[in-house]
Amino acid sequence: MSTELFFVQLINGLQYGLLLFLIASGLTLVFGVMGILNLAHGSMYMVGAYLVWYFVAVTGSFTVSAILSAVIALGLGIVIERVLIQRLYNRNHLDQVLLTIGMIFVFNSLQSILWGNDPYGVAVPDALSGSVPFTDNSSYPVYRIFAAFICIAIAAALYFVVSKTRLGMLIRAGESNREMVEALGVNIKSLYTIVFAIGVMLAAVSGIIAAPMRSIVPGMGESVLITCFVVVVIGGMGSIKGAFVGALLVGVISTFAAVLMPTMSNMIIYIFMILVLLVKPQGLFAK
Amino acid sequence: MIFEKRTERIFLAIFFVIALCIPLFLEDNSFFVGKATTILILAVFVMSLDFLVGRVGLVTLGHALFYGLGGYLFVIVTPEYEAVNFWIYAMYIMGISALVALVVGVVVLRTSGIYFIMITLAISQMAYYFFFDSLEFGGNDGLFIFMKPETSIFGLNFLNLDNPTHFYYLSLLAVLVTLLAIKIILRSRFGRIVEASRLNPERTEALGYNIFAFRLISYIIGSTLAAYAGLLFALQYGYVNPQFMTWEMSGTALVMSILGGMGTIYGAILGTITYEGLQYFFEHMSEDWMLFMGGAIILMVLLLRKGLAGYLEKLLEK
Repeated sequence: MSTELFFVQLINGLQYGLLLFLIASGLTLVFGVMGILNLAHGSMYMVGAYLVWYFVAVTGSFTVSAILSAVIALGLGIVIERVLIQRLYNRNHLDQVLLTIGMIFVFNSLQSILWGNDPYGVAVPDALSGSVPFTDNSSYPVYRIFAAFICIAIAAALYFVVSKTRLGMLIRAGESNREMVEALGVNIKSLYTIVFAIGVMLAAVSGIIAAPMRSIVPGMGESVLITCFVVVVIGGMGSIKGAFVGALLVGVISTFAAVLMPTMSNMIIYIFMILVLLVKPQGLFAK
Repeated sequence: MIFEKRTERIFLAIFFVIALCIPLFLEDNSFFVGKATTILILAVFVMSLDFLVGRVGLVTLGHALFYGLGGYLFVIVTPEYEAVNFWIYAMYIMGISALVALVVGVVVLRTSGIYFIMITLAISQMAYYFFFDSLEFGGNDGLFIFMKPETSIFGLNFLNLDNPTHFYYLSLLAVLVTLLAIKIILRSRFGRIVEASRLNPERTEALGYNIFAFRLISYIIGSTLAAYAGLLFALQYGYVNPQFMTWEMSGTALVMSILGGMGTIYGAILGTITYEGLQYFFEHMSEDWMLFMGGAIILMVLLLRKGLAGYLEKLLEK
């Protein structure tokens, strides 16, 4: 592998990893704070991609569509938490698994009713459609670099909110002792609603950012969901820092595997995850 | 009596009477006999999962690995154009599956809780992609079974697997044997210790039992039963492909067993029939059957806390 190819693949891998982090962060946040294993998280990613595709077709502006889609996703998150998830806090993980599998069915079906089963694509916004020359005969699309920076920005914002703000303080407190936080007069119910809605929005925003880079197809949510599980398990369930490291590792490893050993590339991340769990049964950054 | 609850006895009596009679009424409708056969095979698979998840406490999301393995092993170990003896090869395949389960079990049982769910998922995904990407195992198309095995025992041959009705009864036998086997295991000393280690691992360990060994043996039993179900399914349809091993397959089985009532074993049969029945009904009612199926699943989680078996027990037990 030439140095040039190596660097192109490395950047591809990091960029893919950053996107994975964005999706996985919502999953791990919701699990860490609320103890909810949301199998429908991938569906929210799909919802984000379809919504932005739909609004771009209607309004023609990617920025407007992205904001609209993110706001709708936030609202959707609030509704889902209030109507369904809230009833399951005192139940076991299996009931949550069952409920969220039911939600996958519903969202996949709604997607096919509303938008059909054809694959769609979203055009890269004009301002970001160029590419940056990399070496003499290769270049890198601006949108991918932009997407990577958005992911980094959101990661930084998430870090800031969780570790520096009052909301973040409550989230961390709720994580370690729910009853105590409640006893101190904090409305833990609305805190959970907010956290769940943020989780849904993070997944949808990932779908929005991914839309111009990937094709929008039925079932896109499930394939990304399983990869996200790998990411959060490698990092340690509930740890945002772990999800960040896990996502970059998975992104880089799977990108290089696709080039170096194409016949085994799909298996590599699972092998990697099993190896990590054998050494650290709770993931790299276990709590 | 190995069936302790009244509800359980009533349900199983009704189930077996109806199940025994079904082919008599549907003799000329091989589609429905085939459909009923598939449900019985799935019930075996779901019961083996219910045993692991509900009674041993091993929540696996990779059970379909063994379902697919049973099918693949048959094509791999039998000669292509020669009818082999079903019983001998079924034992042979279950033996190999048990060995695979031993190796997988040693790895996955190092983790627990949510990590156990995830590592079982990862291993089955690995196997899925192994068969999906492999040329020698037919990739995404899978492998075909050209010759159905013959089923003679000591020279007596009363089952012909090409006959849908015969195959149906073979599957019903599998349901009965699996049900009895799991029930007998659960009532034995071994079963009691396994359940104790689910309810309170620390105390069971303190009593001197090696929990790991008990869980490993249970994992091997559950996985081997799943492999037998997968073998039957592959033989019924004459092929095996990576779709047998998807996480959706494991997830659906989990849904069926939770719907039926986790850990009740007979609930697994009830859950499988209900799920397949609902799906068949919705598929014929509307193109968007998944919407109704999803809605039905959500409603059942919210309304039935202990699954259908729990609901029946509330009605029938004093």
